[in-house]
Amino acid sequence: MTLPRQILLLYRKDLRVEVRKKESLIAMAFFGVLIMVILNLAAGLDRRLQAEPAAGVLWVAILFSSVLGLGRVFAREKENNCVAALLVSPLSPGALFAAKALVNFTLMSFSELVLVPVFFALFGAGLQPGLPVLLLLLALVNIGFSAAGTLLSALAAGTRRNEVMLPILLYPLCLPLVALAVKATGAAFGGRPMTEIRDLIESMAAFGLIYAAAGYLLFSHAVREA
Amino acid sequence: MLKRFDPFAVLALVGIPGAAATVFFYAPLERTMGVVQKIFYFHLGLAAAAFLSFFVACVAGVLYLLRRQRVWDERGTAAVEVGVLFTTLVLLTGSIWGRPIWNTWWTWDPRLTTSLILWFIFTACLILRSAVEQEEKRAVFCAVMAIVGFVDVPVVFLSARLWRSIHPTVIRSEGIALEPAMIVTLAVSLAAMLILWRALFRLRCSIQRQENTLLDLQQQLQR
Amino acid sequence: MPMVEPFLRVERLCKAYGGLTALKDVGLTLEAGGFLCLFGPNGAGKSTLLKVLATLLPPTAGSVRVAGFDLEEHPEAFRAQLGLVSHQSFLYDDLSARENLEFYAALYGVPDPSVRAGELLERVDLTHRAHSPVREFSRGMQQRLSIARALVNDPSLLLLDEPYTGLDAHAAIRLSRQLRLLHEAQRTIVMATHNLERGLDLATSVGILARGKLVFLQRRDQIDPEAFEQLYFRHLEAA
Repeated sequence: MTLPRQILLLYRKDLRVEVRKKESLIAMAFFGVLIMVILNLAAGLDRRLQAEPAAGVLWVAILFSSVLGLGRVFAREKENNCVAALLVSPLSPGALFAAKALVNFTLMSFSELVLVPVFFALFGAGLQPGLPVLLLLLALVNIGFSAAGTLLSALAAGTRRNEVMLPILLYPLCLPLVALAVKATGAAFGGRPMTEIRDLIESMAAFGLIYAAAGYLLFSHAVREA
Repeated sequence: MLKRFDPFAVLALVGIPGAAATVFFYAPLERTMGVVQKIFYFHLGLAAAAFLSFFVACVAGVLYLLRRQRVWDERGTAAVEVGVLFTTLVLLTGSIWGRPIWNTWWTWDPRLTTSLILWFIFTACLILRSAVEQEEKRAVFCAVMAIVGFVDVPVVFLSARLWRSIHPTVIRSEGIALEPAMIVTLAVSLAAMLILWRALFRLRCSIQRQENTLLDLQQQLQR
Repeated sequence: MPMVEPFLRVERLCKAYGGLTALKDVGLTLEAGGFLCLFGPNGAGKSTLLKVLATLLPPTAGSVRVAGFDLEEHPEAFRAQLGLVSHQSFLYDDLSARENLEFYAALYGVPDPSVRAGELLERVDLTHRAHSPVREFSRGMQQRLSIARALVNDPSLLLLDEPYTGLDAHAAIRLSRQLRLLHEAQRTIVMATHNLERGLDLATSVGILARGKLVFLQRRDQIDPEAFEQLYFRHLEAA
C-alpha cells in the first residue's frame, strides 16, 4: 500500500474513534475556555488587554488545552498494545507519524473553532485582526505543535507517567514557537500589515519544518521502544 | 574500568586556579564595571562548554540510534548532565553580573533567554531519564530528546531576537573591544573551562559505565 | 539427509539487553505445518524469542529465516508471513469487531477488507456481535477476535505468546479447538505458554527454555505425556 493510503487509513480510523467518543475535543475546548477565564483573573478583572497580552492569553489557552488531546492520540495505540500489531504489519513508521500528526492537527483546529470565537467574545474589544493573518498563524502553530507533540507523545507514552511527562518534554521545545506566535499575533491584533511580521512567520514555518522532518526520521526509533 | 589517573582532571586541577589567578591578578580592571566584570571570563568559558556539551549530546544521540552501542548512551547522558550543570552556572554567573550592571537579577535578553530555554529542554531530558526503567528504552528516548533539543537551537536563536526589542540597549557585546591583556585572560579561562568540561565529562562517563556494569552483575546474580 | 530448507530456521540466536542475556545461542527448526510449543518459567526468554520472531526486537546475533526469507535481509517479505497473537488483544476498544478487522485487513492491502472481515468473523463465530464495540466483549471473545485479526493477511506462520492468559476454562477449551483447526489447515504455529497440559495436547514439537537457553527440543511423539512434568522440572533444575 502506498504511503498516502496508509496515512489516510490510520487517519480515518483515529477520527472515527474520536467522533464516537468525543473525549479529547470536549476536554480540550472546555479546558481552553477555563484557562482564558483564569488568565483574565491574572490580567486584572476590569482591565482591557493590550494587543500583545491578549495574544498571549489566546496562545496559552490553545497550547495548554491541546496537550490534553495530544497525549490521548498516541496513548490509544498503547491501550491493547495495538502499536505492536502496527509494527508487525507492512505499515511504515513514517506513515504512522504523519497520520498521528494529522489527527493532532485536526483536533487542534476543531478546538480552535470554539476557543477563538470565545476569545474574541471575552477579550476582543479593541482588537482588529485580519482574518487571513490569524488563520495563517493558527495553521503554523498547529503544524509545529502537532509535529513536535506527536513525536514526544510517543516518548511520553513509553514512560510510567504519560500525562506528566508530555507537558514537561513538549513545552520547553515549543517555547520559541509560542514566543514567535505571541509576537506575530500581537502585531496582527494591533492592526499591523502582514509584511511587518514576515520574518516571524518564516521562523514559525521553519519550526514546523524542522519538527516534521525530525519526527518523520526519529519516530520509528521512539515507537519501537514505546 | 575506572582509570585512576585522568590527565584532564590533573590539568583542570592546575588550569582552573591558574585561570582564576590570571583573571584576578593579570587582567586589568575594567573602567566602568569594575571588579564585577571579571565574572565575564568564567561566564563565557562556561557558556562555550555548555553549548559544546549539548552538541556532543546530540551527536552521541545520533550515533546511539544508528549503532545501538551502550557507550554512546553513556556519553550522551554524561554530556547532558554536564551541560545542564554548566548552563545552570552560566545563568547564575550571568545573574550575579547583571545585578550590579543591569540593576536586575534577570532580564529577557536574547542570550539569557536562549540559555534558559536550553536549560529547560535538557533538564527535561534528565527528567525523562529518571522516568524510564528499561535500559534500552531509556537510551533511545534520551537520544531522541537530545537530538530534538539540539535541532531546536536555531529556532530558539531566531525567536530570542524578539526579546531584544523589549530591552533594546541592555546588552553591549564586551567581546568587541577588549584590551590585549583581557583577550589573553579570556583565552586562558576558556581553555581552563574546556579542560574542566572534558574532565567532568570523562568522570561522568566512567561513573555511568560502572553503574551499568554493576546493574549487569546484579541481574546476573538474580538469575 | 536431503537438503530441504525447513520452514522456520533459527540459528544461534542471541538477544542481550545491556549486559543481560535474554537469549543465548538458540537454534531450532520447524517443518511447514508443524506446531512448536515452548515451555519455560517467567523470564526464561519465551516472550523475547517470540518478539524477535515477530520482528519487534532486533536480535543481537544469529539469524532467523521463515519460508526462505531472512529476517534482516528481507524484513518486509518476512513480516508478510507472520500472524501475531498475544495475551494483549491488539484491538481498538472503541471500534466494533468488524471495524477492527476491516482496518487491519486494509492495512495489509487485502483487496476487499469487508468481505475478508465477514469471513473471519464467521470463522471465529462472532458474526452475531460484529457491530458491538470490542470494549463490551468478554476476554474469551476478545481472544477469538484477536486470532481472527492475526489471520487477516492469511499468514503461514502464526506466533502465539501466552494466549491462554486470562481465559476461563470454557474459553480455553474453545481456543484449543480453534488452534487445532488452524493446525489442521496446514499453518505453522509457534506458541509460548505456561500451560503444559494444553500445550502438549496440541504440539508436534516441544521445546523448553530456561535462562535464555533452549535446553530441550524434541518431537512430540517421542515424549511420554505422563512423564513430561517430571522431565520439565528436571530440565529447569539442571539449567
